[in-house]
Amino acid sequence: MHDAHVIASSTLWLIPALPLLGFLLAITFGQARALVRVVAPSVVGLAFGVALMAVLRLVGAESGSRLVNHVYTWIAAGPFQADVTFRLDALSAVMVLIVTGIGFLIHVYSVGYMAHDADLPRFFAYLNLFMCAMLILVLADNLLLLFVGWEGVGLCSYLLIGFWYESDANAAAGKKAFIVNRVGDLGMLLGIMLLAWSGFEAGGGEVMSLDFAHIDAHAATLGAATATTIALLLLVGAAGKSAQLPLFVWLPDAMAGPTPVSALIHAATMVTAGIYMIARLHLVFEASPFALDVVAVLGVVTALFAATIALVQTDIKKVLAYSTVSQLGFMVLALGVGAFATAIFHVMTHAFFKALLFMAAGSVIHGMSDEQDVRQMGGLRTRMPVTYMTFLIGTLAIAGAPGLAGFFSKDEILWHTWAGGHPVLWLLAVLAATLTAFYMFRLLFLTFFGELRATPEIAEHVHESPKLMTIPLVVLAALSVFGGWVGLPEGWLWGPAFGRFLEPVVGHPHLDHHGMLGEGALMLIATGMAAAGAGLAWVFYVQRPELPAQISERFRALHALLVGKYWIDELYDALIVRPYVRFSGMLWRVIDQGIIDGAVQGTAAFVVVNGQLWRVVQTGNVQHYALIFLGGAATVLLYYLVR
Amino acid sequence: MDLGTFESIAYAYPEIILIGTATLIFLLDPFVRGKQGFGSLALFACALALVFSIGLRIPFTDTWIAQGLFGWGEGWIFSRMVIVDDFAVFFKLIFSLAAFATVWMSLGSNEVRSTSEGEYYGLLLASTAGMFYMASAANLLMAYLALEFVSLTSYILTGFLRQNRRSGEAALKYTIYGGVASGTMIYGMSWLYGIAGSFDYVQINAALATGSAEPLTVFIALVLILSGFGYKIAAVPFHMWAPDVYEGAPIPVTAFLSVGSKAAGFAILMRLFYPGLSEAAEGGSWHFLAGVEWPQLMLVICMATMTLGNLAALNQQNVKRMLAYSSIAHAGYTLMGFVVLNDEGLRAMLFYLVTYYLMNIGAFVVVMVVANSTGREDIDGYRGLAWRGGAVPAVAMAIFLFSLAGLPPLAGFIGKFYLFAAVVKEQFYLLALVGLANSVVALYYYTNIVRTMFFDQPQGDEGVVTLDAHNAILLYFLAAPTIVLGVYWEPVIELATRSARFFLG
Repeated sequence: MHDAHVIASSTLWLIPALPLLGFLLAITFGQARALVRVVAPSVVGLAFGVALMAVLRLVGAESGSRLVNHVYTWIAAGPFQADVTFRLDALSAVMVLIVTGIGFLIHVYSVGYMAHDADLPRFFAYLNLFMCAMLILVLADNLLLLFVGWEGVGLCSYLLIGFWYESDANAAAGKKAFIVNRVGDLGMLLGIMLLAWSGFEAGGGEVMSLDFAHIDAHAATLGAATATTIALLLLVGAAGKSAQLPLFVWLPDAMAGPTPVSALIHAATMVTAGIYMIARLHLVFEASPFALDVVAVLGVVTALFAATIALVQTDIKKVLAYSTVSQLGFMVLALGVGAFATAIFHVMTHAFFKALLFMAAGSVIHGMSDEQDVRQMGGLRTRMPVTYMTFLIGTLAIAGAPGLAGFFSKDEILWHTWAGGHPVLWLLAVLAATLTAFYMFRLLFLTFFGELRATPEIAEHVHESPKLMTIPLVVLAALSVFGGWVGLPEGWLWGPAFGRFLEPVVGHPHLDHHGMLGEGALMLIATGMAAAGAGLAWVFYVQRPELPAQISERFRALHALLVGKYWIDELYDALIVRPYVRFSGMLWRVIDQGIIDGAVQGTAAFVVVNGQLWRVVQTGNVQHYALIFLGGAATVLLYYLVR
Repeated sequence: MDLGTFESIAYAYPEIILIGTATLIFLLDPFVRGKQGFGSLALFACALALVFSIGLRIPFTDTWIAQGLFGWGEGWIFSRMVIVDDFAVFFKLIFSLAAFATVWMSLGSNEVRSTSEGEYYGLLLASTAGMFYMASAANLLMAYLALEFVSLTSYILTGFLRQNRRSGEAALKYTIYGGVASGTMIYGMSWLYGIAGSFDYVQINAALATGSAEPLTVFIALVLILSGFGYKIAAVPFHMWAPDVYEGAPIPVTAFLSVGSKAAGFAILMRLFYPGLSEAAEGGSWHFLAGVEWPQLMLVICMATMTLGNLAALNQQNVKRMLAYSSIAHAGYTLMGFVVLNDEGLRAMLFYLVTYYLMNIGAFVVVMVVANSTGREDIDGYRGLAWRGGAVPAVAMAIFLFSLAGLPPLAGFIGKFYLFAAVVKEQFYLLALVGLANSVVALYYYTNIVRTMFFDQPQGDEGVVTLDAHNAILLYFLAAPTIVLGVYWEPVIELATRSARFFLG
């Protein structure tokens, strides 16, 4: 198959290989802390450089081109073939730049943040390995290689959540993330197998391939039921990785990891893998309108649901975690309404401002001697000015203040939802956006305004973070301000340049229902609602700080429901975990102790007997050996004769 | 090509290098005091033999330093006694790598250092040269001489720890057992000579192809020959020597015997039974000559070898002895590719020998590192190895053992995958099932060591294990490809594919 749009490249493999080299160096020369501190960010920086050059080459080429780097044939078994091939098209170009660019900033930040940690080399080893896996994920040319990266990032996420493994809570959070993700991965794996098989049958039973080109070519021929099944199975995988209902429960707990990890893995990159995967396989999803509707509803419900929980959280990182779940819901909504480019646009702007918010929060935690409870904070505006300014920019961006990054991408999602003919979803999304503005400003006011509520010992030590940490904040703040301008609404200056760049890969959404309101009017409504949310937060937490307590007293049941996070964890515990533990206990007693141990003891007895038998034969007496040798030869002959 | 003695010398550089260096070492040994230099000389000779076997080109030019494989073509040399072909070169590659690793190990081994080591390196090189000829013999007489040469040098190497009773005992047993095997084998060869009227493989093949030979006579000759070859690869029921010898010999020698000597046995076996006693058919399959029904026989030997090897390994307390039984079992796995009678099986065997080289020598290096520091070889001596200075050896050992057990994504898994694929393709389902059951049994004793190293607490009497840079380099050199081959094996399988081809005249 020759394709004019395929440009051969020989450098793409370097992009994941460089962090892998960093990982190898870090585990081999872990004693040399100084070396690791330099090498770990450098390899990511270099990977960014290589990626940037490749992307420039792609941009210079004809629209719709892709760079392809065939490294080697990985598996060739019968009709099935999978290669280690990397591809860089517009979609992976965006992801690669996000991952390496923000990854580099976070690595630099981590050098400062983790400076005093005894296990710094292990931290950077994991972080580099994560970069490698994530880059394999976004550069893979087939679904199987993508899955290698998918599992790799899951492993690194687990290792990094439980990085401070001495505390049981951290280890438990790591396990929870891993196990919940396994549920998603099972769906994903089934989806992949079904996709491989149905492509095999559709292609006349000759080629079984998971190459994206092959999948795309056969997506239209999938039957409706098959397409729906595959899409929903893949959606389970995406819901696990991208923390959607009902599998979102691991992400808030994942905040147990070091803050740079939360910023990199659990906000900017890994959790968007599900979004990326759906955008990558959009033809499969488009083959099933029903599955797409499920995606859209799931997204908006998650967005609203997580936003309500975020309203009452008191841990600065937990608020941001629920906010991430909510924002991921917005992206999933965009996917569901067919606006794939818009979803990726929001992935990008969200990566800017959420990484910024997490790292600013990390800076606060660093300055507050590891205090994470906002009730102990306040008034940090003057003591940590850089952190305050950058956090403010991040808050404005996520709330959708006009002109900032989040404004354009969120507006595009809302516009596509409305114009795609989903007014109810639009309304829910606007509500979620309003709540977003409220809880983010609540967080900002509680942290940086009013009086400092910390104990005197902590208050004494509050300080601005070192340059190594604040410079990445400033860079990300700049991106959060200007990063959205690549995708302006239609008709403004250069218009949606970002969408046009991605269009050859992810297609153009169908806007068949324009309704009575234009994009400008919708924008005004959403912005007004967000401003109202922010204003309400001002009233509640700056003007009349006694109000929230009164209101929560008044709506005690509702407040308890939100503080209890809808008791989802408890629900899962009662419905799934405890019955499962009981079932396992039964298996353990009946099957394991009764049957298997019995068999094992039987085997052991057999082995002992066998061993004794063996000892009788293996006497150590060489004459016996010679006898057995000749006896063996004779037996073989006899076997032939009597046969 | 069919060359006489003098023209052939140009094609015998690798062997000449090995023999020449060995002779030089023997000559200089009485006059030199610092013996370490001999080790370095032997290392150099192994590397040079490797280069001259496979050839070396200056990168990005057309200038060849040594043409080796690429310039030789294929044919007979030394008046049809020896063959030069891709198959032989592949094995020369394995032998020189095995010898290289063994010499490197010996340089870091306390056991070997405690002896007068000059002639030790000479013997190793001589043994390697014998293996080279085992892989390329085109004549039963040459095959016998080469095999005997390897055996004789191995006996001395096994008993090299003169002060050690166990080593001496092993050498004596090995010699007696080897003598019996060798006598049986040459008796069988004389039968075959009687039937075919020639030692030359091509003429044997031609004589048997006429179908005039009495099948029972042929079969007796084959069984007798097979007992000699089976002894070399340690296949049941000709394996009895292996546990005692492997346990008694110095660890580097054990590693050398379990990999180099075994691979040489496979080479000689394949060359006699494939181009010698079968004929190539269309589509990469082979047919045995009428009346010479060896695949059935080998099928039984193959299943018995892996089963007995694994069962006996289960309750061994000495790691060296356990690895001896494990290497018997691996001879059984490798034979799976032998009985299917096609090029895919051959290819799978060649590939498996490469992976086996990496993981088995690697495991013995760890055994040596532990023995160097603590003098212990029993499993209890591995308790909590990871937590008393031996983290790197413990992790490396885990990699090698998991690879031996055939777990993905390690080299051993890919090797087993190709073997099983060849077996299933020829519809030997019983063999595949036996092989699978064996893999499960084997997992028990491999993981048992891993468990001991990581999850058992040291009880204080195990001593501290230290790893010096010399041995660490070898560990990395073997462990890294064991992992890499698990995800990227394309070049090696390509090499094996092109090497599974014999020169037939």
